[in-house]
Amino acid sequence: MAAGVAAWLPFARAAAIGWMPVASAPMPTPPRDKRRTQDGLIILNVSGTKFQTWRNTLERYPDTLLGSTERDFFFHEESNEYFFDRDPDIFRHILNFYRTGKLHYPRHECISAYDEELAFFGIIPEIIGDCCYEEYKDRRRENAERIQDDEDNENNNDLVSPDMTLRQSMWRAFENPHTSTMALVFYYVTGFFIAVSVMANVVETVPCGSSPNRVKDISCGERYALAFFCLDTACVMIFTVEYLLRLLAAPSRYKFVKSVMSIIDVVAIMPYYIGLVMTDNEDVSGAFVTLRVFRVFRIFKFSRHSAGLRILGYTLKSCASELGFLLFSLTMAIIIFATVMFYAEKGSTASKFTSIPAAFWYTIVTMTTLGYGDMVPKTIVGKIFGSICSLSGVLVIALPVPVIVSNFSRIYHQSQRAEKRRAQKKTRLARIRAAKIGGASAYLQYKRNGLLGDTLDEASKEAGQALVTKNSATFENQHHHLLHCLEKTTNHEFVDEQTYESSCMEVSLTNQARSRSSSVSSSQHGLSSCCSRRNKRKSFHVPNSTTGAERHGSIQELSTIQIQERPLSNSRASLNAKLDELNCEQPFITAAIISMPTPPVTTPEGDESSSSADYLQSNIVRVSAL
Amino acid sequence: MQGLQMVAVVLVLCASLKLLHLLGLIQFTEDSIDDEQEQYTIRHRPEALEQLEAQTRFTKKELQTLYRGFKNECPSGVVNEETFKGIYSQFFPQGDASRYAHFLFNAFDTDHNGSVNFEDFALGLSILLRGSVQEKLNWAFNLYDINKDGYITKDEMLDIMRAIYSMMGRCTYPVLKDDTPRQHVEIFFQKMDKNKDGVVTIDEFIDCCQKDENIMRSMQLFENVI
Repeated sequence: MAAGVAAWLPFARAAAIGWMPVASAPMPTPPRDKRRTQDGLIILNVSGTKFQTWRNTLERYPDTLLGSTERDFFFHEESNEYFFDRDPDIFRHILNFYRTGKLHYPRHECISAYDEELAFFGIIPEIIGDCCYEEYKDRRRENAERIQDDEDNENNNDLVSPDMTLRQSMWRAFENPHTSTMALVFYYVTGFFIAVSVMANVVETVPCGSSPNRVKDISCGERYALAFFCLDTACVMIFTVEYLLRLLAAPSRYKFVKSVMSIIDVVAIMPYYIGLVMTDNEDVSGAFVTLRVFRVFRIFKFSRHSAGLRILGYTLKSCASELGFLLFSLTMAIIIFATVMFYAEKGSTASKFTSIPAAFWYTIVTMTTLGYGDMVPKTIVGKIFGSICSLSGVLVIALPVPVIVSNFSRIYHQSQRAEKRRAQKKTRLARIRAAKIGGASAYLQYKRNGLLGDTLDEASKEAGQALVTKNSATFENQHHHLLHCLEKTTNHEFVDEQTYESSCMEVSLTNQARSRSSSVSSSQHGLSSCCSRRNKRKSFHVPNSTTGAERHGSIQELSTIQIQERPLSNSRASLNAKLDELNCEQPFITAAIISMPTPPVTTPEGDESSSSADYLQSNIVRVSAL
Repeated sequence: MQGLQMVAVVLVLCASLKLLHLLGLIQFTEDSIDDEQEQYTIRHRPEALEQLEAQTRFTKKELQTLYRGFKNECPSGVVNEETFKGIYSQFFPQGDASRYAHFLFNAFDTDHNGSVNFEDFALGLSILLRGSVQEKLNWAFNLYDINKDGYITKDEMLDIMRAIYSMMGRCTYPVLKDDTPRQHVEIFFQKMDKNKDGVVTIDEFIDCCQKDENIMRSMQLFENVI
């Protein structure tokens, strides 16, 4: 029941008095009103913007957040209002829904933000009013397509499971030529042979000079018949092999055989085989010649190589109804005008309009504004109708064309956007990963600085400076403690990438790195021991762990800038001692993306050299000046 | 042959004239091409709150609540019969409430101008909810008396009864028979029509109702609706 109508229920109940005198049975007792609350104003504070409405307005829809007791969870006693930490601009529309019973969708809002707000307030999007529903659905579909596109691409590109069967890897090579060099080579080779085959078909028919015993020129195809035949055979061989390989590798052979590309492939190579079979019989050679026409379909094989062609095909498919309409209206107009022209020109002598079908040709040529001039009307009436015909032809053709064009434009831009997004995605993902690893290495840094447990005493000593930073970093501390608990649970420890890689490397090179591996393993498992060792050093500042986390950030992953790191042969202990002093002096760098080589790179060697420490310091200084 | 040719020429001429008229190039009469109907919106502003308070037996707050609900559903300030039927039908989804809504509308539309404004609405509700038993019975009589001549005939009652029963819809238990309304009307007339003259006057009606305990009790049922 609509909300506004609920306000008329008292009226309907009152009007029921009209039934009383004619009632056949006594009336039931009315329900007791549970609380006769006076209708009061409710203040809704949404991120600082205050909205006010009657309580009854909100309670029109008792199955939403605002209409039910769920809103009590958001009641803020101090200010006697309901506080929501959400977007006030979108909330305006949600509140209007309660007021007017109609939910509208603002066109300038992001569709997913809007959906989230609706979900939060417990309103189903299906009740969006008719005025905005179409737009909402369109935007939603567009968004879903975009996400689907991204997912598809991701799945396609990242499917690098090492244990793919040969068949799967072949199929992947066929579908995405950029994945491996072999696939790329295959791709270009087939492209080249398609081009060669098409060129051969074309050149075959060019007149090539005359032979002595014939009057007119013979075509190149007849002159160099053997050469062309060999070329054709080679191309067909390649195409057949390619088709069979694709058929073999396809995950669903039935689906592959039904697909358009496979049909094109088959049609491209069939004429050759049919020609092989029936070269001897003279009667069917006529048909054989016709079959050669089908060889031109090889050019469609290029659509695998060109995205633009595919888009065109897709557009035509999606505009099928418009094309159908165009065709139908043209046919109607042609028949009408052909009939009229025929009867108009019937009187004139030596008229070319011998029958209505003959007049079709004139009508088509005129309506498409070609105007060959091989058939022209001679009577005045014929000329009048001829001009009407050409004028209307322009109209009839111009009408469906913009629809097709806009469809093509939409699809084309969509694919352009997809390409751009794919290109940007790499950089975006790299940056996001860098930020994430920044967080992870914060923990490692935290551990190395030995801020576990015992250092709390030292922290209190540095009360003045440290306390401020500690309060602001309680979240960090708690997070680090949590990670530490996980380490203790699993009896494994978090390490950074380089350590991991180097340990992997060393595990494989057992012979050479035996000493190193032992030291590595000891150093790895000895992280805690190192830390505990460092715990005893009292000369520590409590570094600003937040700054430490951010500055000793990730190894940069952006492919554009690569900073080569020297294998640093410092022990962590001395390194960190110097770094901690550095922390307090260096200016605060906030951007986590700024590349800095993770200074405490665990090195297999246990050498200490202060010179490298200096180098490291200077290294840091240099990078931070960027 | 000449005659047929003449006919053909005349035909073609008429067809082309019609085409030109269609294209808007020539006009036959003086009326303008665009005959958009001007819609002038009816708007009604009710009397001041104090006046209404004096006329009806509602308090200021009750009137405020009433008006807010009224205005929300009918922003122009008046209800026409179609809107009225639509609103009332929403409360009875199983059956067809349009007949009864029609009678109700006529009962509320005291000045019979085809629209119910807020004063009519408030006055009617005031009688129904805050009026004396006499006034309520008066109102009910007015509802049943379709042509407002002071007498309820059997046909009028049958109309009303059919309208009430049609609100029930099809799916009832026990199954509604076609002559159930007629039977009900007979019972009503037996009870109310004291002098058996085939019509019920207002005095007969009020007399009879005041003697019936059930009816008296049910009149008090909806006191606390607002």
